[in-house]
Amino acid sequence: MLHSPEVLHPSLWRADQLGSGRQIATSSGFASLDAELPGDGWPHRALTELLLPHPGLGELRLLAPALVAVARVDAGGPAAAPVLGGRSVMLFDPPADLYASALAQLGVDARQWLVVRGRTPHGRPAASAARQGLLRQLLPQADVLWALEQALKSGHVGAVIAWLAAPVKADALRRLQLAAQAHDGPAFIIRDLDARQRPSAAPLRLALQCGGTDALLLHVLKRRGPPLLRPLQLVLPPVLSAEPEERAQGSRAALAQVQARRAAFARRRIGMAAAAQQAAAHPALGFGWSR
Amino acid sequence: MLWIGLHLPQLSLESFASTLGPHQADRPLALIEEHRVVQADAAARERGVRPGIKRVTALALAPDLLMGQADYRRDAEALQAVAHAALAFTPSVSCNDEPGRAGLRLEVQASLRYFGGLPALLQRLKEALAPLGHQLQIATAPTALGAALLAQWRSDLALGPHSTDLLQLRRWLDEAPVWLLGPGREHWEALQGMGLRNLSDLRKLPRSGVARRFSPELLNELDRARGDMPEPHAWITLPPRFDSRLELFARADTSEQVLAGARMLLARLVAWAQAGHGRIPGFRLSMHHEQRHRSDTSTTASTELAVALAEPAADAGYLQQLLAERLGRLPLAAPALELSLHCDSLVPGAAPNAELFPTRASEGTGLTRLVERLQARLGREQVCSLRPVADHRPERATVAEPADAAAAGKATTLAALDSRLLLPAPSIDGRVSRPVWLLPEPLPLAERAGQPWFEGRPLQLLAGPERIESGWWDGDLVTRDYFIASQHDGALLWLFCERVPQPKSQGNGWFLHGRFA
Repeated sequence: MLHSPEVLHPSLWRADQLGSGRQIATSSGFASLDAELPGDGWPHRALTELLLPHPGLGELRLLAPALVAVARVDAGGPAAAPVLGGRSVMLFDPPADLYASALAQLGVDARQWLVVRGRTPHGRPAASAARQGLLRQLLPQADVLWALEQALKSGHVGAVIAWLAAPVKADALRRLQLAAQAHDGPAFIIRDLDARQRPSAAPLRLALQCGGTDALLLHVLKRRGPPLLRPLQLVLPPVLSAEPEERAQGSRAALAQVQARRAAFARRRIGMAAAAQQAAAHPALGFGWSR
Repeated sequence: MLWIGLHLPQLSLESFASTLGPHQADRPLALIEEHRVVQADAAARERGVRPGIKRVTALALAPDLLMGQADYRRDAEALQAVAHAALAFTPSVSCNDEPGRAGLRLEVQASLRYFGGLPALLQRLKEALAPLGHQLQIATAPTALGAALLAQWRSDLALGPHSTDLLQLRRWLDEAPVWLLGPGREHWEALQGMGLRNLSDLRKLPRSGVARRFSPELLNELDRARGDMPEPHAWITLPPRFDSRLELFARADTSEQVLAGARMLLARLVAWAQAGHGRIPGFRLSMHHEQRHRSDTSTTASTELAVALAEPAADAGYLQQLLAERLGRLPLAAPALELSLHCDSLVPGAAPNAELFPTRASEGTGLTRLVERLQARLGREQVCSLRPVADHRPERATVAEPADAAAAGKATTLAALDSRLLLPAPSIDGRVSRPVWLLPEPLPLAERAGQPWFEGRPLQLLAGPERIESGWWDGDLVTRDYFIASQHDGALLWLFCERVPQPKSQGNGWFLHGRFA
């Protein structure tokens, strides 16, 4: 007999037990962050909103441990068949292309990731990248919101990350939050920092700020619990290895090297140009074949 | 022998109703033939529209009456779908498509044990026929014609002692009215004039006299129903290919209207697949268009929409969803007048069992269906999977290709198995040396006082150079020195400087190529 059916599904319990409302979460991989999050990690069945001033702060280095855990997680419970693989991760409208080698260095298998993008507007296939970006900003992201809702509702995706660049209406977010209740895994929504002042249905909201190289400052804007006044400082997996002085020295040397090489190129080019000019002005002084 | 008689009293009306658009379905309906009403639905009968009255009278009684021509072929197609649905329960199905007596006879003695008894079988049969939307009268009897006659007569004879007991059946048949017998119908007035009300009255008359006055057929039919005479059957066989058409009552201008018609065709397709005990790997929907004028050659005669499923399915709701997404994207060249649905092959085998609790297998199927739906709506290219390629050039190291929906469900298992074989090794000293975000096109940066600038501020170079020089063999030579630089707020960027300054490139050879995220 099964004594703890909640391992099969959180909304299952035996008739003689009290239903347990404990929140299931995936550990974020950062102990100091887990300590501040309800459920000790990124919550399942709820939206988590991350507000960024611009992409490329270290947001994926922040999320990578949880995504790796999802891809490896055993969702079937103790009685299930031996687990061969993890669950997939779906990305919606990421701000740029993904570099699989970088993902591999973060421990992520890129083949488990699916990238969903909204349609480009009809009749403008040749629009420039900048213009398409603008159009995407102006048009409501109906496609992405629809796809995101379907993915959350289906409950078959391990983790979801969505980049919503344009302002999203509050009712759309509420809809997503309702859909997320069927989604057994973390669901991240990444929005612009401007959305900070607007209300949102997501039960967990964090604002990210760059805290120097390879560090991140997290402001917990909203959580199920008391407000957190001081920002959290997290040390991310490093991009740079050397000490700061060495780094600065190295970069100065590198810059000097680049400039020297460029000067050499310029000299060579000027020299060649001068030779050509000379040849043109005094054909007799040239190489002889010009005649 | 145990026979189920299925009678479809409203078949013509229901097959007409299935050609209507979503906005016409709630109006009273009537079928006319030669300017007279031949059948009217409940809403029309309430307003006084009866079979036999003239078209004008019917319109005067109910001005919003929707009238359609009775169409024998349309009824036959609808009845065929019902027969296909019934074939899932027994291979012995014969069909009677006389107008007004449309129905099926199923011999189910051999299927009883498999389906768990007659009541369970009848319940399953009703459930299987429900999507086709027909009103049913069901009766069971030891003879085929007896079951058919009882089904035409009353709707409460589905179960009872008469279904196995021949004597009980004969008792019921004695009480049945005499108009039930087919060849007797044209003699109905004469029979009534002779004072015959039910079949026992007819049976008491001398046989030779009845045979001479009416026809031997009348008595033969009575004998077959009573089990005194053998009855030949023409069994229905399942066609190897599915073809069904539906002429719409009103032209369909929007995909929503097309979908309303296609819903019935899909229900028929699923009935056909279930009769073949298989699943559908894909189907084609043809929409035949209205020509603007007779010599119009600019509009195409028909549009064909092929829907291929990643995983064969026999689930009408899912097929409808998928078709709805595809239809939503398809621009209609002209209004559609007629729809037809084709399917050439079946994948044998029943659908895998659904799971009560989420497991790995059910999640794989669910993911396949999700990816398929997203691709149906957004386009195949908009849902990509990533594939790492062993190439030093960053823009070529990742290939985003349209995701294969069937593989998406299984990819997780495969990827985990060979992950150690294919993944590039992490960098040696444990640091992340590559940025996650790559700009689709390198962004030229300005240079002032020997430093690259970005967004109006100088960038501080922190590490580098790292030279990537590759690709001379395929004409896309890359000679770059990569640097890691920090932006004013500390965010890290990936820059490169062309080793050989390209004359055509703008700027000073500095480019922003990625962001460390």
